[in-house]
Amino acid sequence: MPIDKVTLQILANHCRATAENMAYTLYRTAHSTFVKETEDFTIQLLDAAGHTVGVPMDLGATWYPGLHYGKAMAMIPEYHPGDIAFTNDPYSGFLSTHVPDLHMWKPIFHEGELVCFAAGHIHNTDMGGAVPASLSRALTEVHQEGIRFKPSLLYRQGVLNQELLDVMMLNVRRPEQNMGDLKAFVGALNTGERKVREMIARFGVETLKEGMADLMDYAEHQARDILRSIPDGEYFFSDFADEDGPDGHPARLAVTLRIRDDSAELDFTGSDPQLTSSLNVPTGGNPRHTLMLVGVYYVLFTLNPNLVLNYGLTRPFTCILPEGTVVNPSSPAAVGMRSLTCARLRSLVFGVFGLATPERMPAAPAGSSSIVNVMTHDDRTGHAMIAAINPVVGGGGGMPHGDGTDGSGADAAYLKNTPIEITEAEVPIRFRHYGLASGSGGPGRWRGGLATRMDFEAFTPNTRITARNRDRCRFRAWGILGGGPGAPSRMTLNPGRADERVLNNVDTFSANPGDIVSITSPGGGGRGDPLEREPARVLRDVVCGYVSPEAAETDYGVVIRSETVDEPATQALRARRRGKAPAPHFRFGPEREAFERIWNREAYDALTAILASLPIHWRHFVKRRLMETVKTEGGGAAAVRVAWAGLLETLPQLGALQLRALRPERRLAAE
Amino acid sequence: MRDFMGFRVGVDIGGTFIDFCLWNEDTAELHSLKVLTTPATPGAELLRGLEILEERHGAAPAQITSFVHGTTVGINTVIQRKGARLAMLATAGFEDVVELARLRMPEAYSLFSRRGAPLVSRDCVFGLRGRILSDGTEEMPLDEESVARAARAARAKGVDGIVVSLLNAYRNPAHEERAAEIARREAPELFVFRSTEVWPVIREYERTTTALINGYVHPKVRDYLDNLIGGLKARGVPAEPLITKSNGGVMSAALGKRNCVSMVLSGTASGVIGAAFLARQARQDRVITLDIGGTSADVALIIGGQPQFGLGEKIGDLPLYIPTVSVTSIGDGGGSIAWVDEFGVLKVGPESAGSDPGPACYGRGGTRPTITDAFTVCGFLGQHELAYGALRPDAALAKAAIDTVAAPMGLSTEAAAEAIIRIAISGMFVEVNKLVARSGVDPRDFALLPFGGAGPMLGCFLARELGVRRVMVPARPGVVSALGGLVADIRNDFIRTLFATAEPAEGPSIAREAAALERQGLAWLREEQRFDGPAIASWFADMRYRGQSFEIEVALPDAAVRAGDTAAIAEAFHAAHEAIYDFADRESPAQIVNLRLVMAGSPPRPAMQAPPRGEGEATPERMLRAYFDDAWHEVPLYRRAALGTGQRFAAPCVVAQDDTTACIPPGFQASVDEMGNIILDAAE
Repeated sequence: MPIDKVTLQILANHCRATAENMAYTLYRTAHSTFVKETEDFTIQLLDAAGHTVGVPMDLGATWYPGLHYGKAMAMIPEYHPGDIAFTNDPYSGFLSTHVPDLHMWKPIFHEGELVCFAAGHIHNTDMGGAVPASLSRALTEVHQEGIRFKPSLLYRQGVLNQELLDVMMLNVRRPEQNMGDLKAFVGALNTGERKVREMIARFGVETLKEGMADLMDYAEHQARDILRSIPDGEYFFSDFADEDGPDGHPARLAVTLRIRDDSAELDFTGSDPQLTSSLNVPTGGNPRHTLMLVGVYYVLFTLNPNLVLNYGLTRPFTCILPEGTVVNPSSPAAVGMRSLTCARLRSLVFGVFGLATPERMPAAPAGSSSIVNVMTHDDRTGHAMIAAINPVVGGGGGMPHGDGTDGSGADAAYLKNTPIEITEAEVPIRFRHYGLASGSGGPGRWRGGLATRMDFEAFTPNTRITARNRDRCRFRAWGILGGGPGAPSRMTLNPGRADERVLNNVDTFSANPGDIVSITSPGGGGRGDPLEREPARVLRDVVCGYVSPEAAETDYGVVIRSETVDEPATQALRARRRGKAPAPHFRFGPEREAFERIWNREAYDALTAILASLPIHWRHFVKRRLMETVKTEGGGAAAVRVAWAGLLETLPQLGALQLRALRPERRLAAE
Repeated sequence: MRDFMGFRVGVDIGGTFIDFCLWNEDTAELHSLKVLTTPATPGAELLRGLEILEERHGAAPAQITSFVHGTTVGINTVIQRKGARLAMLATAGFEDVVELARLRMPEAYSLFSRRGAPLVSRDCVFGLRGRILSDGTEEMPLDEESVARAARAARAKGVDGIVVSLLNAYRNPAHEERAAEIARREAPELFVFRSTEVWPVIREYERTTTALINGYVHPKVRDYLDNLIGGLKARGVPAEPLITKSNGGVMSAALGKRNCVSMVLSGTASGVIGAAFLARQARQDRVITLDIGGTSADVALIIGGQPQFGLGEKIGDLPLYIPTVSVTSIGDGGGSIAWVDEFGVLKVGPESAGSDPGPACYGRGGTRPTITDAFTVCGFLGQHELAYGALRPDAALAKAAIDTVAAPMGLSTEAAAEAIIRIAISGMFVEVNKLVARSGVDPRDFALLPFGGAGPMLGCFLARELGVRRVMVPARPGVVSALGGLVADIRNDFIRTLFATAEPAEGPSIAREAAALERQGLAWLREEQRFDGPAIASWFADMRYRGQSFEIEVALPDAAVRAGDTAAIAEAFHAAHEAIYDFADRESPAQIVNLRLVMAGSPPRPAMQAPPRGEGEATPERMLRAYFDDAWHEVPLYRRAALGTGQRFAAPCVVAQDDTTACIPPGFQASVDEMGNIILDAAE
């Protein structure tokens, strides 16, 4: 029997209090910069079947309110009081989604009965493997990405499994950091258990169990209400990562959103094949995998700020994730940099919901947050050091009733920077610039948020710099409803000097004394016709240096003379500029428009059909060969088929493989 | 010692009322008073209150020997964004320091999340060429012409004042000082503040914002304090007024005119100081204070009889990065509005009826149901007068408001009202839980001390939710903040960022830095505050293991700091680290990021006269009907003034007094202690 709705709200508050309590305990006692500054961790309260029923709102990353531990959890046959289980293997139950993420869960019993779990994850700075910090786009198999543990017991009935821990610590580069965070994590889980016991004492175990089920029904109801408010229909959108690996071709993510009354299907057919870089997103084909739904959480919360965050939100959604694609890779595909792809998946979801409910959605946020690390020697102490520098984050997209936020926001709103003064005191680098990038926001009735630019100078030889998640150097954050796209991202060594090098999406490189590294994030997309923007707002942007006087004229049709708007000239210019044709929903910018003149939707449909017929290990190779072959504009699907026929001639074995690849048992049964 | 006795007056301004605490030094009697605020003529209510104090208690202005004032003028200026038009001079290349902030937005899950408007408009931020490095050395000299240009441009923008905040100035303020000099020369009619004179701490965004807040509130605070000083002088009050500070201390009003930022959170801080004083008197060592008014609800921890201090307080989403009594907001107080969502779930807040129109039952135009209306429907309020007769809640208006949520839920009015109370309490529970988790303590080890107009109304219910076993309702809950001013120390904080390692070689320089800080502190206490009592110096350091990305605060032994005894300093750090993280690495070097000094002087404290003793069981004034635990009950109404020390009475009951109403649900045993506090102990 459902519990009454007054008790439900009180229980919701208590569940959240438990989750917040665990999060603060972890945050207060953790050690690494990742947990302390970036807040790359999450906390969940789970029901007995492993569904998330409560998450904190104040601290941590935003990816896992709909997380289901079920499959990974079931890989441990039996639970006892005092157990703590963990895994970081992306392919054991598809819980941890790259090797640095260590998930742990602790069963909570009451009078011999399993009631629920306290759970969460931390991102370890390093889990061993081929490169420091374990992550690089260039890695090709999960085995290179660090030491992995399938779901195992770290504590068995309260006793630490020291041997397992020793194996872990032997294989990682900064064991003291991992240990510090692990201890804090265990402390948080124990806090969670104590808080759950208080809830059992307060509400009774039956009310708690029923209440957890009701809370998920409540969230589901809220999600269904939102879906009902969106017109039924089928909506298609695709977005692109600049590269599918080092020096690669664009990686396409595609979705067809089918809304029927209060439920929605997200069909990712048409997304790129499984890649031989580490950009793959391991989902196991789970139709409600949380990584596929992060964008959905944002959309739902934006449309209803009173949303209850738990697994119930995911129930109205079904994802179709074809096996052997970038959104459902097969082991041992590398997955370390799935965060870059996940950023594109979020903008993909924002875009397709924008088609379905344009009046309520913003334009694309910048969509690429570079996480920058410096490995160097400190001449003052002689020690080698690794330091996290500021993430370089861009602005939000233009909103229905306001400009995109400058410098951060939207789906990057949880990231924090490190004060320049702290970094300069600790790391032998000097900052030369840290600020908003003028002119980087997409023009619109509501302007896209500005990008940030960060320049710093190296002072020691062989300063190794890593900048992860670099993207949107080519394909911009799109504008909608007449708004223009944001400026692309850029990374340069020694800008404006004779030895300038454009690095853009390169994710590791070296700098020497005197070298200046300059990173500019992408800017957010604009929303609505820029000719409709009030001249006073354009003037203010010009006075503040956010928009140049030239751009005010060319993009906004506003003529500014010595810090005032020339009204007659503006009216005349705007009248001349106003076109008759309705604006397309999206404005992508010249780069994507040029690319899609060759690789339009039909061409991609042909490519998808060809790749789906091939064994997985051939797909990325064939994609690259076809992309290298098809170069002419307007060729469409026919050009792709011609190129494929040509490739079949040179590689006749592909024909035979094509038939064998379609054996039905290769498809993983959906959940 | 003084030759003659007189009156000491503490005054605190809130959203709805101005509170007075009057201590008669001759008789040790303490009086209190609440007067409705007069937003149209700020200051008038204060003088009106003084007149009433003279009429009722014979406190002639000429006999007022001490006058301590807490005001919300600073914080209201920031929240309402009604402060000065500022220009800012920043290091070239870093002009966007306040636009970028720390990147993180207030709501992580919303695509529409945004921060409040910055205190300085971006077109009034000017870059200065010149660079100080993190070790304090000059890489590029200050381009003085760029300063002069910026100051002239600021003038042309028509700003009221200039804030100078340059990168790494915490380590070497030379460029800031020179830039401020030039700015004053070029724009003599503008006020100028430097970030390092306001609070010279590492972290450019926090330091800059703190300095901006100082400048932003400066004109309003200055004018307000000038009026206050002038008004008191005109009335013949001989005492030089003191102002309560965010750090729980007091300073002269004259100093407050420039050092505005340190009084921004004075009201909430002095409430905690007053509560800590009461807790110490009642020998309660560990206390959670709960300060609820019509528009705010705040909690704080008192451990070992002392308030906790921190740097991370926020005003809206702006950091106020100065040492401040740690206070956590847990909601919007009695005015929070209840509503029902589309799933039929009852919610309370975040919208608030505030002080205007206020709860429906106040009859000032509010129609939406608030927490105060729920208490009225349940019979706890409305059957007696509130606030010195200024208000009487109207039960019919409350009922009409509650019915707007009762109907959609299919509940009776009183059941809906009780549901509102329970949900409001569970919401506060979430926030208190975060506070105790941040602090690493267990609420069950604490007593709850509710105060403010609505604290005793909600306190017992929250105590039950938290598992707190004891609630202490002070004698005058409505004026604890005003009392806090009367008992506060004269107190100021001083800081040096050192980045020193606690190794013997660095001992002498640490001792030198400490001596310099102490000279600065003594100069403030003796010369600026003209305090001649004993000076109390306490030392703290923000420390970490080298390479760690965060610091912890460590209290340092006085002798160790003065002698530069790095072994003792390191050991204090290891022990503090062990207490939080369960381990210490005594082989690793400990780093002192900041060395801090708190310089304080204690003026003589009031000894409060105990209320008369009572005998045996207390006698209720009458019975009233109250709704709780799903039913109506006949419960006794006690008059606070009629309760004598030593008397006992049983819950459930209601205790009414001029400044508040205590609602005591079943499950508590009540007694009145020697100081007149009602001590409520949860029954076993």
